[in-house]
Amino acid sequence: MTTEMVYLDYAASTPVDPRVLDRIREVAESAYANPSSTHAAGRQTHTIIAGAAKQLGGLLNVDPQTLIWTSGATESDNLAISGTARYRAHRGRHLVSMRTEHKAVTDVFDMLRGQDFDVTYVDPGPDGVLDPADFEAALRDDTQFASIMYVNNETGVIQDIETLGAICRERNVLFHVDAAQAVGKLPIDLSKLPVDLMSLTGHKFYGPKGVGALYIVDRSDCHVEPLFYGGGQQRRIRPGTLPTDLIAGLGEAAEIASGLIEADLAHLRELRDILWTGIQDIDGIRLNGSADGFPGILNVSIADIEGESLLLDLEPICVATGSACNSKSQEPSYVLRALGRTDLEAQSAIRFSMGRPTTRAEVEFAVSKYRDAVARLRGMAPGQAA
Amino acid sequence: MSGDPYSPAVRALFAEPGHVGDVDGGEWAMLDEQGVRVRLSAVAKAGTIEAMRFRAWGCPHLIAAAEWLCGYYEGRPLAALEEFPRAPIMENLAIPTEKTGRILVLEDTVRSLGQKFGEGS
Repeated sequence: MTTEMVYLDYAASTPVDPRVLDRIREVAESAYANPSSTHAAGRQTHTIIAGAAKQLGGLLNVDPQTLIWTSGATESDNLAISGTARYRAHRGRHLVSMRTEHKAVTDVFDMLRGQDFDVTYVDPGPDGVLDPADFEAALRDDTQFASIMYVNNETGVIQDIETLGAICRERNVLFHVDAAQAVGKLPIDLSKLPVDLMSLTGHKFYGPKGVGALYIVDRSDCHVEPLFYGGGQQRRIRPGTLPTDLIAGLGEAAEIASGLIEADLAHLRELRDILWTGIQDIDGIRLNGSADGFPGILNVSIADIEGESLLLDLEPICVATGSACNSKSQEPSYVLRALGRTDLEAQSAIRFSMGRPTTRAEVEFAVSKYRDAVARLRGMAPGQAA
Repeated sequence: MSGDPYSPAVRALFAEPGHVGDVDGGEWAMLDEQGVRVRLSAVAKAGTIEAMRFRAWGCPHLIAAAEWLCGYYEGRPLAALEEFPRAPIMENLAIPTEKTGRILVLEDTVRSLGQKFGEGS
């Protein structure tokens, strides 16, 4: 194995598939008109966007008309949570989410708390999985909205969206799912899943950055107030001129993913097994999350190891750490703390995330580097044998 | 957005520390504070520090500083342990200010080591 960079941070972002890149370039060069224009060039651009919606709708098995283009999952989450809560405030001001949600979700709920909404964060179990009974117990008569992520970005834990959504339907609570880590990676059939809103982004499944979407179920009681004002595009829910080339790229990525999800999952399961088998015997290692989570993510903590030094020692492997990602803050991951990990355990956590291009050789190299790094740092620590 | 949090000096010292370990027959001091653990040991002859070794549990900046420090003190008189080269460490290794607390733990460990030598003389 070379000492060149080994990228194992696919949960943070994926490379753009070459076919997607070709599509973006083709559209950027040829379809530059404003899709809102009614002239021939505008209509051509509009058709490209409609085609991309059809591709994404095909991946999710929904009517393309139910998809709103956004700049990414953060905007989609903001639009879904803030827009729905405000629109339905007359029905109640209680909102429910989970302690381990992404900041793009929790920060919006925290903002709403400042606007006289009452928010309940439900704790998952030690394996990160939310017990549907705990979720149901958190719902009240005045609960109008709930948001639970599909796949956790740090641990890969998969929530039982079908059961949680069914509970919401029974209680007349709108249900939003942050599926940034799930779309294009897990089979999702929104014609069957009891989900009212779903956020996604292109760059997590080999599409471009800067474009995402929000699915909004076509039902009279589900509507969102816009975050932006300034035009009538996208049913006034999300005005603004659409980036045709990026949307076309996202559509292409969705089309590609539609045919590769099962093969990708099989590939990732094999890689995850190699990785976990290679390191699970190290003294003091601990899996963060459930064993049957999304196979593209493996998050582990290790006793008696300082996380920042471990991260540097793992170079040239690019992975994510359980702290706040930079030397200015060593704040342990709130997600891992919610799973009951101590500050030290959370601080030593490393998230390996693999993707479609990841090879066995890269994962075997990661195993070797991780074992070497742990041995070296433990050998350096006071109290260890020389 | 973030650049490289480590200077080339920190990277080099962290990657290949030549002073990890313990010395026999000398003095040692250890501190466990502010989320880091440092152990320094040294042996002196005729009032001069012949060898200094370290063990550390902490961030790359701390490990690099401990390695630099051992090289700095070797060959210097024991009295030098009373003067911690904080400014040269911060400058030469480009230690970010938020890591100053960890360097202070190193400083306290050096002072403690100096006291051990003082008590033994």
